[in-house]
Parts: sequence; structure tokens; C-alpha cells
Amino acid sequence: MTQHTAEVGAVASASAPWAIRMRDVSVRYPNGVVALKSISMDIEPGEMVSVVGLSGSGKSSLIRTINGLVPITSGQLTVGGHNLGEAKGRELRRLRGEIGMIFQGFNLAGRTSVLNNVLVGRLAHTSTWRTLLGVHTAADKQIAFDALERVGILAKAWDRASSLSGGQQQRVAIARALSQEPHLVLADEPVASLDPPTAHAVMRDLRRINTELGITVLTNLHLVDLAREYGTRLIGLRAGEVVYDGSVDDASDAVFEEIYGRSIRAEDVLDR
Amino acid sequence: MTAPASVPAPAATAKAAASASATPPPRPAGRWKPWLAFGVIALITAVTLSPQLGIAFSLDAIARNWQNGAAKIVQLLQPDWSFFPRTIPPMLETLEMAVIATAVSTLIALPLSLWAARLINPHRVGRGIVRVILNIVRAVPELLYAAILVAMVGVGALPGILALVLFNVGIIVKLVSEAIESNDAGPLEAARAAGGTQAQINRAVALPDVWPSFVNQVLYVLELNVRSGTVLGLVGAGGIGLLIDAVRTYFRYDQLSVIILEVLVVVILLELVSSAIRKRLV
Repeated sequence: MTQHTAEVGAVASASAPWAIRMRDVSVRYPNGVVALKSISMDIEPGEMVSVVGLSGSGKSSLIRTINGLVPITSGQLTVGGHNLGEAKGRELRRLRGEIGMIFQGFNLAGRTSVLNNVLVGRLAHTSTWRTLLGVHTAADKQIAFDALERVGILAKAWDRASSLSGGQQQRVAIARALSQEPHLVLADEPVASLDPPTAHAVMRDLRRINTELGITVLTNLHLVDLAREYGTRLIGLRAGEVVYDGSVDDASDAVFEEIYGRSIRAEDVLDR
Repeated sequence: MTAPASVPAPAATAKAAASASATPPPRPAGRWKPWLAFGVIALITAVTLSPQLGIAFSLDAIARNWQNGAAKIVQLLQPDWSFFPRTIPPMLETLEMAVIATAVSTLIALPLSLWAARLINPHRVGRGIVRVILNIVRAVPELLYAAILVAMVGVGALPGILALVLFNVGIIVKLVSEAIESNDAGPLEAARAAGGTQAQINRAVALPDVWPSFVNQVLYVLELNVRSGTVLGLVGAGGIGLLIDAVRTYFRYDQLSVIILEVLVVVILLELVSSAIRKRLV
């Protein structure tokens, strides 16, 4: 924790972090599956939140709802004071441009360079003709280089994305999110495809985004120890409903057993 | 060494004994289907061979005309090399037609491929329309296009190029849009999450991933164009085919064999070059 406060002192940039406000948000997919049932919560600017739950609990839907990848069926959703629940077209793309997202599968375009992948984060701030011609401004490239530097893989900028290891690819994905200069970062099971040491390194990167840049970070996790170690607030989902919302310090094993609806097993922990 | 080696033996025999008494699951039904398919094919072949219903195919013609055929072969085996210089300009024209057609169809097919791919293009109706049109375009042989286009725009290289372009676009768009659809949707979703427009996503994320298969198809189409470009002239659509038609009319099989050899060399060279390029892709 002392290391944290030291890093906060060295704050580099400060795009004002965004809050998330949800009022009775429900999501029903076209196939009839109800993913979220009337969820209400407030996430304050600059929080580091772990969202936990078993697979199928709705945590992935929750995080995709917050940048409009999954449309809400009913309720109200504002992100950074903007009504994201009703945003469409250009307005929705503009909001997405302010929200970074990190995926379990890294989701990089494997055959192009690391730099080009990071520049995908600048799409919302780039005119279409520029993208079509593949001409990036010097300022955008500088932002991309800075983002790569921040996650420690600037040296790989010209490498093919697919030639990198899993941990390095996830760092590129984080750099892609950072190059958006986001007010909010969403991470959907960011370390589920990584080995334990790499998982910790990536989680530390996410924590640094929160502490050094002050950005609100929302991370989906299914591992109890990671959720405890890297979040300050814990939200537990079960069957599309919030069953726990509080500080991680209060989240005992009993709390996790309540969220999971069963006892904690070995597979729920990263470091056995 | 011998002691540890003998240890697994009892386990193995136990396993064998267990599998000997095991009843296998029932075999899936429908094993007669391949035999039925074979029977249908045999029946169709028999019908087409019959003099009443089919194409009246018989081997008599070969027996009756073998002397005629042998004479042609003798002529073909004695190429008239002095004819070679006259074949060069039309051969170059065929190559030019192939290259121009490939370039033009590439420019047309690139945006169309992106548009036609399902993963990339959420508009169901537009995609369906593109697919149907392309299927129709591809169903017509390029020689038929050339014959019609010669009547429309006149004899020469232009109708040949147009015919090749039509055919090429159909092939490239079909193969490339299928390659796009088989690609991973994740990177596209990431670009959408970053706020990109559809066009931006296609260009920045989808294109790099399909680029090798796109180049692959373009090279393939170039090969096809050189090959079919040689016969388009038979219907007046330019290139070496015009010359083939001329020497054939005058029964100059010694000159025809020069052309055939030339086409052979060009096609083989092109294949070598394009397979060398393909190896460097992926």
C-alpha cells in the first residue's frame, strides 16, 4: 500500500475519470436470455472495482453494457454524465472512444504491427479518410508510443502482434486502451488466459492505470485472490443480480461463497 | 532395466481384457448412402452413353479418322519456328489484358469483399444482394461474356478485359469474403469498443488479417486470366486467341504448336513466380 501512495505522487496525466450510474438496468438478449436483472449501482470516479461471479452470472454482459456493446433493454445508464443507454451512432462511438476496453482474448489483429494495433485506440479521434489511407498523425503515433512505454513494451512497437507472448499481447491491448486517453477502463477477464506470474504483472499494470492516471477501472474476475488483491471495491453478481457490493476488506470467504452459491474451491484461486 | 519394463505389462493385459468384453456403441445409420451415390452416378453415365437418350458417344470416330489425327500430330510435332516473331505482339497483348483485368478487378473487389463479408458487415439485406449478384456473375463462363461483349463494344482487347474483370470480381469477392468470415471476431469487437466506424474497423483491423488471402486470390486470378486470356480471342476478344483462330482456319498446325508451346512456357513461368510470392506471404 505504501508503494501505491508513492505512485500516486507521480501522477502523469489527468483526464477527469468518469462515474458510472445504473438505475434498474436490465438486459435481455434476442434469444430470450435475461443477462442482467434490474441492476442499480453507482461507481464513483477513480474507483478500482472488481466484479466477480461465476461464468454465466452476467458479469461479462455488465461490462459490455457499460460501453454499449450490449444494448440495455430497460433502465437508465449514464457514464461520465452522458446518457449511454440511449446513445446511438456518432454519439455512441464518441462515448466508446472515451472508454477503454480490455478482453480476455487480447483481441489484437495478429498480422499487423503492435503499433497499428495500439493506433486502433485512436479510431474515434481520427477521420475516416485518414484511417482508410492508413496515414496517422505524428501526435497519434506519439500517444501510441507513450502508451507502449507505459506498459513496458515500446521495444516491440514494430513487431507483428501475433509474434508476442500472451502477456505481451495483453499489454499491447492495455496500451491500445490507454491510447484512447480514456476516462474509464473496462477489463473483461483480462488475465484468464495467462499464467500466474504474467497474470499478476497485467493486474499490476491495471492498478497503475488506476493509481497513476486516476482512471476509473472496472475489472471482471472469477479468481477470489486477484479480486481481493487488486480491487478496492467488490461487486458480486449471481444470475444477473448484484448479491454483494462493498469494500474488498469486508469480503470474507463467506462472502465469496454467497456470491458463487457454493464453497470456494482450488480453481477459484490463482496462487494455490 | 528389465524389472521396471515388466511392470506395465499386467496393466496392459487387464486393459486388453476389459476392451475385449466391451460392447461397442451401435454404428450410426446411413452407411448405404455412399453406395446409393455411386449407383446414381453409374446410372447417369449409362444414360448419357446410350444412343437414344445421350450424346451418341462412340469410339468409331477415332477409328475412322485416325489417319487424319496422326497427320495433325505429325504437323504439331514440327513447329514452324520462323512464325515465332509474329506471335510475340499478340502474346504480349494477352498478358497486358490479364494484368489490366487483374488490377481493375482488384480495385473493385477489395471494397466489395469487405462489404459482402457477414462478420464485418451487419447489414443483412445489402450482403444478400451482393451475394446473389456475385453468384449469377460467377455462373456465366468468361468466354460467353466475351462473345456478348464483342457484339456490344466491338472486336479487340476491351471486351476481353471487361469479360475477365466480371469473372475475376466474382471469384475474388467470394473467396476473400469467406476468408474474412472465418476470421476471429475479437479484434473487430475491440475496434468497435474503441469507437471506430464500420469503414474504419474494416480498414484498420479486418484488412490486415485478410491481406495474405487477398493477395493469394489476386495472384490466382492473374494466373486464370493468362490462361483464359489465350482463348478469349477465339470469339474476337483480343490477344493471342485471334492468332490461334487464324492459323487454325488455315490448318497451320505447325504454327499452332509454336503458340501452344509459348502459352505453356508463359503459364509455367507465371506459376513459378506466383508460388514464390505466395510462400513469402502468410
